[in-house]
Amino acid sequence: MKPPQYRLTEIRAFYRANLALEVDELTIASGHLHILAGPNGSGKSTLLGILAFLMKPGHGQIAFAGTQVDWQRNQLASLRKQVTLLHQHSFLFSGTVFANVAFGPRARGMAKEDVQRTVGEALAMVGLDGFESRNARHLSGGEARRVALARALACQPEVLLLDEPLAHVDKESAQIIETLVISLSSRGTTVVMSSHNEQLGQRTESRVIRLLDGKVERIVEDNGQAPGRAVDGYRYAKL
Amino acid sequence: MGFIAESFRTALSLIFSADQDVFAAVRTSVGVAAWSVLLAAVFGIPVGLGVGVNQFPLKRVVIVVLNSLMAMPTVVLGLLVYGLVSRQGPLGGRGLLFTPNAMVIGQTLLAVPIVANYTLSVIKGADSRIVPTALTLGAGSLRSMMQLTREVRFGIMAAVIAGFGRVISEVGVAMMLGGNIRWYTRTMTTAIALETSKGEFAFGLALGIILMVVSFSINILLTFMQESHQP
Repeated sequence: MKPPQYRLTEIRAFYRANLALEVDELTIASGHLHILAGPNGSGKSTLLGILAFLMKPGHGQIAFAGTQVDWQRNQLASLRKQVTLLHQHSFLFSGTVFANVAFGPRARGMAKEDVQRTVGEALAMVGLDGFESRNARHLSGGEARRVALARALACQPEVLLLDEPLAHVDKESAQIIETLVISLSSRGTTVVMSSHNEQLGQRTESRVIRLLDGKVERIVEDNGQAPGRAVDGYRYAKL
Repeated sequence: MGFIAESFRTALSLIFSADQDVFAAVRTSVGVAAWSVLLAAVFGIPVGLGVGVNQFPLKRVVIVVLNSLMAMPTVVLGLLVYGLVSRQGPLGGRGLLFTPNAMVIGQTLLAVPIVANYTLSVIKGADSRIVPTALTLGAGSLRSMMQLTREVRFGIMAAVIAGFGRVISEVGVAMMLGGNIRWYTRTMTTAIALETSKGEFAFGLALGIILMVVSFSINILLTFMQESHQP
């Protein structure tokens, strides 16, 4: 049996001495879409930072694909090549769109021809074919978000983490991103995305993890039933 | 007024006649300053990056020391290096005193804190998302640092130019470690100081004009490069 993508045990994360996240036990299955829901300050971004191995929790254990994470430099370098986080306010490097999208493949030592092809494919997936030579700093907000997503996709990650990918983007970009996320998870990529929009769970086959005050308040599975708990006010149906 | 105008005319004539003494001093100045600032960049930029990015005990102390070293009097620095390279000093056997190499050592030490401090300021002001973005795209620590450097390259260039401005215009180190030897260690600043005191005002003025032109040209070039690469 395939081990879960992540298993978090007794995780405690602190932000300036304040407890920002307190997760006793959380399992994230591989190859599924998981939506982190909850209000501002509920710990969504902190959890994503930990899942991306960018933030070491103050306490607790994480197993990734069955392997215990020791937070040592060598292991982190390897893990970060399997997991890519798209930040809420994504930063595009100075230079062209191509240079941005090619960053991950180049960091992985991909051959030049493969980089060209991967970049082209990733941009096509987000509907930005032909944007390669555009200056990354001259894009609209929606285009910039899609380039950042293409850059994450070009890394061909095992796990894609998305922090509020649908916030502050135009309708067209939001539609493209949502469709892409659903498509990726259906093809076996583990996707964890945070969103204020809990209705997204109604439109997608996903598992919703609702956080409140840094704790997992409830988990709603694909069939809309929170295990062992009532799901008042929340109905998440399969597509 | 007539004295200044006459000296100015003589100075221009020295410049346009490519006076050997004038241009030997210019070559030495620019050469020593260029080597010094290159070495200062090699040492100072990593120091600024390291201090700016990493959290470690005594970080504040290191920053205070770097800041204090920026105000180091050049004559005192020249004196300290003189102690090292003079015949009785630990590096005395290498025959460095009164050579351009000794001047490079002194001016490098002068410029390192300047380059490091300016780099540190640039890093502090850099977008905090650069390194996490690079890391999450699979870059290692070194590649992330290189990307950070690339993103703030114009700020770092300004740091290097500030170091260049400092070393090309200083007198203390050049005088104490170079000795103002004609056609060998005589720089524009040492020549201006000494020749003017000997009454050769026009000669000093000629070098002063060139010194200003060199300094301004580098700053204009930097400004042009920064503006033409602005996103």
